Amino acid sequence: MTPLDWTVLVVYLVGIVAFGVWAGRGNKAMDDFFLAGRKMRWWAVGLSVMATQISAITFVGTTGQAYTDGMRFLVVYFGLPFAMVILCVTLVPFFYRARVFTAYEYLERRFDARTRTLTSLLFLLSRGMAVGVTLYAPSLVLSVIMGWRESTTILVMGGSTIAYVFYGGNKSVIWTDVVQMGIIWFGIFLCFGVAIAQLPAGFGFSDALALAQTTGRLRVMDPSPSLTAPYTLWSGLVGGLFLMLSYFGCDQSQVQRYLSGASLTQSRLSLLFNAFLKVPMQFVILLTGVLVFVFYHFHTPPLLWNAAQMRRLEERAGPEELAGLRARFAAAHAERRQAAEAYARSRGTGDATSYLTAESALQAVRGDAVRTIERLNGGARYNDTNHIFPTYIVTYLRGGLAGLVIAVIFAAAMSTLAGEFNSLATATMIDFYKRYLRPSESAAHDLLFSRLFTLAWGAFACLIALQAGRLGSAIEVVNRFGSYFYGSILGVFALAVLTPRASAAGAFYGLMAGMAAVALVSRLTAVHFLWYNVVGAVVVFAVGLALTALAGDRVRQA
Amino acid sequence: MDEPPDDPVPIFGTWPRIYAAVIVWTLANLALIALFSAWAY
Repeated sequence: MTPLDWTVLVVYLVGIVAFGVWAGRGNKAMDDFFLAGRKMRWWAVGLSVMATQISAITFVGTTGQAYTDGMRFLVVYFGLPFAMVILCVTLVPFFYRARVFTAYEYLERRFDARTRTLTSLLFLLSRGMAVGVTLYAPSLVLSVIMGWRESTTILVMGGSTIAYVFYGGNKSVIWTDVVQMGIIWFGIFLCFGVAIAQLPAGFGFSDALALAQTTGRLRVMDPSPSLTAPYTLWSGLVGGLFLMLSYFGCDQSQVQRYLSGASLTQSRLSLLFNAFLKVPMQFVILLTGVLVFVFYHFHTPPLLWNAAQMRRLEERAGPEELAGLRARFAAAHAERRQAAEAYARSRGTGDATSYLTAESALQAVRGDAVRTIERLNGGARYNDTNHIFPTYIVTYLRGGLAGLVIAVIFAAAMSTLAGEFNSLATATMIDFYKRYLRPSESAAHDLLFSRLFTLAWGAFACLIALQAGRLGSAIEVVNRFGSYFYGSILGVFALAVLTPRASAAGAFYGLMAGMAAVALVSRLTAVHFLWYNVVGAVVVFAVGLALTALAGDRVRQA
Repeated sequence: MDEPPDDPVPIFGTWPRIYAAVIVWTLANLALIALFSAWAY
C-alpha cells in the first residue's frame, strides 16, 4: 500500500468515528439510545439493515468463493425478497405495535417469561461468540495485507466501532451504516469496473464470460432435488427463505434496526428496500469475483494467496522443491493463458478441451503447493479463499483506490460489529437487567448501564477475537450450536403470530424439540445446512401445536 | 393484509401492490440470472 492508500484509510477511520459521535448526540433515554427515538426514515433504516448483513467476510469471502467455485452461492439470497414480504405482513406489525425493544420481549407478552428468557439467552450466546468471529476473520486477512499485527487490527477495528456505538447508540449505528453502505456500494462498482477495464486488449467482457462459463463459474441454477447437495435452486428458495425469515425476523441485530422506524410504514419500507436490491447487489459482488478469476489468466497469481503462508513456504520448503513448484506453476499459467486466448479466438467453433486441460494442470500445481504448506504446518488444513480479493486490490489498484477498497472492507466489518454491539447491549439490558434486576430506575441510570453493556460486549468481542487463534475449535462448536436453534426460534415466533391458541408450554417444549431435531439431522445425516432452519421451524411449529392440542390444559399447567 | 397505513405507501399506493411488485421484480431477477447462466457467450 502506498502513502496515499494509508492516507485514504486513516481519513476513513477518523472520519467515521467523528461522524458517528456527532450523529449520535442528544441521547437522553433508552428509547433514544436503543431505538434512535423511533424517528428514522425508511431509506436510512434500509441501508442500515443492508450494512448490518454485509460483513467484511461476506464481501471478501464471496468474491473469493466466486473466484474458486463460481456464482452458485447467489442462491442463498433467492429467498430473501419473499422473506421480507412475509415479515412485513406477519411479524413486523406485531413487533411495532407492541412497542417492544427486543423481539424476545414480545414472546413474554404472548407466551411466558421463560420462553422470552431462553430465546434471548440463545441470541446472546450465539451472537456474542459470533461477534468475536466477525471481528477476528477480517482482522486476520487485513493484518496480512497491511503488514500489521493481528492484535493491532483487532483493536483498531473493534476500538473505533466501540467508540461511536458507546456514545451514540443506535442513532450512531444507523447513520454510520448509511455512510458505510455508500462507501461499500462505491467500492463494489469500482472493483467491478476496474476488473473489466484491466482485461487485456482484444479480450472483451463477453470473452471473459465465455471463459468463466466454460469452467462452470456462471452456473447458478442447479435444479437438483438433493437435500445434501450445496447451493441448489431449491435449497436457496426454501432453505434460504427460512434462513432469511430467521435472521431478519428473530435476530435482534436486525429487528432492532427496523424497530427504529418512525412508523410501521417506514419499518416495512426499510425491509422492502432490501428486497428490491439485495439479489442484484450480491450478483454484482459475485460477478466481480469471477472477473478477478479471468483477470488472473493474464497476470500471474501468487502460488498461495495468503502472503504470510507464502513466506513460510519460502522459508521452510527446500530450495529445490520451491523452485520446482514455481517453475511448474509459471509454465502451467503460461499454457493456460495461451489456451484461454486460443479459446476466445475460436469461440463458437472450437472446443474448450485444451483450455480445461490447462486449467486443471494449473490447479494441480497449486494443489501440490497447498499440500506442501499443510505438511509444513503439521497437517493443518489450508484455505486462502478470503485472501484472494484483498491481494488483488493491493496489487493492482492504484492512486489511493487500494486504500479506499481496504476502507470498504473496514466499513463492512464495522457496520456489522456496530449493529451487533448495540443489539447485544439491548438484549442484556431489556431482557435481563431491567426484567430481573432493576426494573424501575431513572432514565440517566438506564442510559449509563446501556452504555456500559455496549462497552462490555465490545470488550468481550475484542477478547474473543484476540484469543480466536487458540479458541478455534470452540468457536466452531458455538457457531454450529447457533445454527441448531436459528430456525427453532423462528418456529416459536410462527406459533406466536400464526396460531392464537398455541400455549406457552407448547412453545417452550417445541423449541427444545426443534433444537434437538436439528442437532440430530446435523449429526446423523449429510443434509446441507441451508435446510436446518426449515427442519427447526417446522418441528417447533408441529410439536408446539401438537402439545397445545393433545396435552391442552395439563401442559399449560406444567 | 392491507391495513390502513400510518404513512402513505409511496409510489405503489397500497401494500398489496408493493408486495406484488417485489415478487414480480424478484421473479424477473431469477429469470434474468437463469438466462445469464445459460447464455451462449
